[in-house]
Amino acid sequence: MAREIETVCITTGPAEVGDYVTLNIGPIHPAMHGTLRVITKTDGETIISAEPEIGYLHRGVEKLGENLTYKQFLPLTDRLNYCSAICNNVAYELAVEKALGIEVPEKAQLIRTIMMELARIADHEVLVGILGVDLGALTPFFYLIIQREEIYEIFEWHHGARLTNSMGTIGGVEADLPDRFHQKWPKMRDTIRKANDETDRLLTHNRIWMDRTIGVNAFCADDALNWGFTGPMLRACGVKRDLRKDEPYLMYDQFDFEVPTGKHGDVFDRYMIRMLEMEESIKIIDQAYAMYQKLPEDAPLMKKVPKIIKPPEGQIYHAIESPNGELGFFIKSDGTDKPYRIKIRPPCYMVYQAFGELVQGEMISDLIACLSSINVIAGELDR
Amino acid sequence: MVDWQIDLIKVIFIWVWALLIAVVMTWVERRASAMMQDRLGPNRAGPFGLLQPLADGIKLFTKEDIIPEKARKILFVLGPPLFALPAFSAYAVVPFGDKIVLGGKEIILQVSDVNIGFLYVLALGAIGVYGMVIGGWASNSKYSILGGLRATAQLISYEVPMGLALLTIVLLYGTFSLREMVLLQQGTFLGFLPNWGIFKQPLGFIIFLVAAYAEANRVPFDLPECESELVTGYHTEYGSMRLGLYLFGEYVNLGTLAAITVCLFFGGWSLPYVDMSKFLGPVSYGIASFMVFFLKQAFFLFLFVWVRWTVPRFRYDQLMGLGWKALIPLGLVNLFVTALLVQLTI
Amino acid sequence: MPRRPVVKKEYTLGERVYLVEITKGLGLTWKHFVFNIKASFRKGPHTVPTCWQYPEDRREIAPIFRGAHMLMLNDKGQELCVGCGMCARACPAKCITVKRGKRAEGEEDKYAGKTYCASFEIDMLRCIFCGNCENACPKGALVLGPGYELAEYDMESCIYNKDKLLANYHEAKAEGKLKPPKKPVPVEAPPAPPKKAAAKKAAGEKGKAAPKKEAKQAKKDEKGKKPAK
Repeated sequence: MAREIETVCITTGPAEVGDYVTLNIGPIHPAMHGTLRVITKTDGETIISAEPEIGYLHRGVEKLGENLTYKQFLPLTDRLNYCSAICNNVAYELAVEKALGIEVPEKAQLIRTIMMELARIADHEVLVGILGVDLGALTPFFYLIIQREEIYEIFEWHHGARLTNSMGTIGGVEADLPDRFHQKWPKMRDTIRKANDETDRLLTHNRIWMDRTIGVNAFCADDALNWGFTGPMLRACGVKRDLRKDEPYLMYDQFDFEVPTGKHGDVFDRYMIRMLEMEESIKIIDQAYAMYQKLPEDAPLMKKVPKIIKPPEGQIYHAIESPNGELGFFIKSDGTDKPYRIKIRPPCYMVYQAFGELVQGEMISDLIACLSSINVIAGELDR
Repeated sequence: MVDWQIDLIKVIFIWVWALLIAVVMTWVERRASAMMQDRLGPNRAGPFGLLQPLADGIKLFTKEDIIPEKARKILFVLGPPLFALPAFSAYAVVPFGDKIVLGGKEIILQVSDVNIGFLYVLALGAIGVYGMVIGGWASNSKYSILGGLRATAQLISYEVPMGLALLTIVLLYGTFSLREMVLLQQGTFLGFLPNWGIFKQPLGFIIFLVAAYAEANRVPFDLPECESELVTGYHTEYGSMRLGLYLFGEYVNLGTLAAITVCLFFGGWSLPYVDMSKFLGPVSYGIASFMVFFLKQAFFLFLFVWVRWTVPRFRYDQLMGLGWKALIPLGLVNLFVTALLVQLTI
Repeated sequence: MPRRPVVKKEYTLGERVYLVEITKGLGLTWKHFVFNIKASFRKGPHTVPTCWQYPEDRREIAPIFRGAHMLMLNDKGQELCVGCGMCARACPAKCITVKRGKRAEGEEDKYAGKTYCASFEIDMLRCIFCGNCENACPKGALVLGPGYELAEYDMESCIYNKDKLLANYHEAKAEGKLKPPKKPVPVEAPPAPPKKAAAKKAAGEKGKAAPKKEAKQAKKDEKGKKPAK
């Protein structure tokens, strides 16, 4: 992991003494994505301390997993980060495949890659759009969401669902790339770029936007590493860490792409990184698609796996770079057809625990901006 | 017709007009924003969804009227009318047309030509703040109070640059009466430019416009009710028609501000280079001048909508910074330069 | 007390003066405004990028869409379901209840198998539309269909019984929205002996049972492939 820390950090923020107003933000609040709650102490508009409270969307996914077979658990992973369900599916599939000691055929890997990168674009588009909405610019959200709908259409034609995809299965993918993808992708590449460009033109150089984002919730790289940040949040702080590069899975080591990094870890950097990552994802899809086209049409899509999956006794951890960061699945198997324990390492949990520190000393408006920019998905956070 | 009858008709007309603009604006806001965002907007109620505001009104009227238990009841009830009424009242001094001759009687198209009309507008704008502050305070909710506080600070701060920008106009025209100002803007200067306030006071216009956005609580200055932070700010706890009155008052306010902008900077009802009174009959001239005024006002109303769906929102301290650090110094400089120029030319 | 990086704001003049960028933004929204106004007057559905006028205009949904379940009949109009309950076992939400019945004399034209489902209930309030039941069904009798308007007035009607599931099938058939026959998924060729041993090791040896099962499964797969050929 390359660390490029050049920023100067200083300790700021008000002292935590005095008579302050307690303001409950959430769990029902327009800007609290899902059901998050932050208990803030405020001095006027300044936040003296903020304490995030979680658990309002706890569904016991991990415990449920202990009573479901390996295949049955797959649909539940859709409900973690529902903005990019495919990444969760693939992460889980990869973890189980690692436990089984199999590697899926090349074509399946490429399809997974393409679908995951599409999901990444969709996720980032939602995030950037929502960030705009929370900062008062509603229009870019619609330009971006149209592109997400197009991506969802491809998902629908590939495996039959738009949001809760349940893509693929353990051992490969069930379907080849749909015709829709072949028809749509060349055009879609441009429309996605166009939508991003329009968002860029509406926001990036607008001084109101810059004032609202530059330097807001800036975070030190050291602190970020200590808190366990991953993904765009860490890269925004200037640490070049991307599991796709550092610990390649699937065929990511064969693709040529950049890992954009920021410098200050502020909202603007997070926003820019996501905008740039969409571009990189398009590049990856292009390369993967070129490789895919070279494969024969009847190339295998699935590895032969037993109908009842029983990984050997032992424990396994596998993580991928989901749009939010490192999404890991820890599976402890006791040799039966049900996992003994499933632990999910959601990326936003690690970020959200630092939330109090992120927003301390900032203003209420910045709290909202911060929350949108770290992309906390309650389904993934509370599980 | 006796004078008071004419006045009554004018008052009723201006009320209906203000209401109509506000009603249509709610529709325009939705449809225009939809069109800017690649959507369609409400198009089911009536042709092009034009009856949507009516449906909204019916909905708001038939909703349960909730007053929170711990709210200050009298103030809570007082808030919305206090917000909406000044906005209506400001229309009284707006000259919405030149004059119309009916039965040999010359009728000025303005409810009353007050010679301090312009101060009256400013004063009423200041009263409108109380509606928000009282509403925010009486709701007994932290979000509401924050919204009310923001409203106070924002509106008071932005009245200063607005006043400064308006002072330059007063200096320029040497009158407080809006009607006289409009009359002074006819004709051209420097040979080709229309004699409008915007060409004589471009900086003043920009300062005024920005301040007007802040006064009207529109994005990028909609801090008192910004949805994503304070739920809906000062009217979080309001429901039914009380909420409706707040929303309605906002649009009436927009109409007023657009009308004032037209009067001060865009020559009111007059067209540049053309004198309509020369080739139009007395009645048709009155109507034509009103139409010209309305079109200009409509443009500014649309601009309010247009900007709202383009830019993000300020933060509270940045808003204050813009007001005190940028607009007020600019306004002062502008005032000084204008005063100097006026002094030199006289 | 958080430590924060010192951020220097460096704005260009164009950025510093708000109006330049805002004017550009206004131009962009105006372009969309004009485009959409023109588009909204055009005839036909979906003229504006985002909007579908829902009850009248509907999106084209994928043929493999995972919607409301249906129980399939074969070409002769016989019920395919044999009531084996594989779907119920595969369901992660445990929302399927199947009761098996034995085919009586004279019912051969009604049921394809020797057994049939006497009752078949799917609790749509629990269903998560994952499609596991469809994949588990050995006869291809239970399929997630194209229906997506699943709102009901009471909870009882959300529990789909056999009649409803069959009705779903007839409806989909009438609209021509039945799924195309599933293409067999190309599975990687049987692994070479050394690989196979490794795979077996990985899968955890379960004595004699495991290889038998595998052999059975291979047979089944072959069976599945046949009709496609």
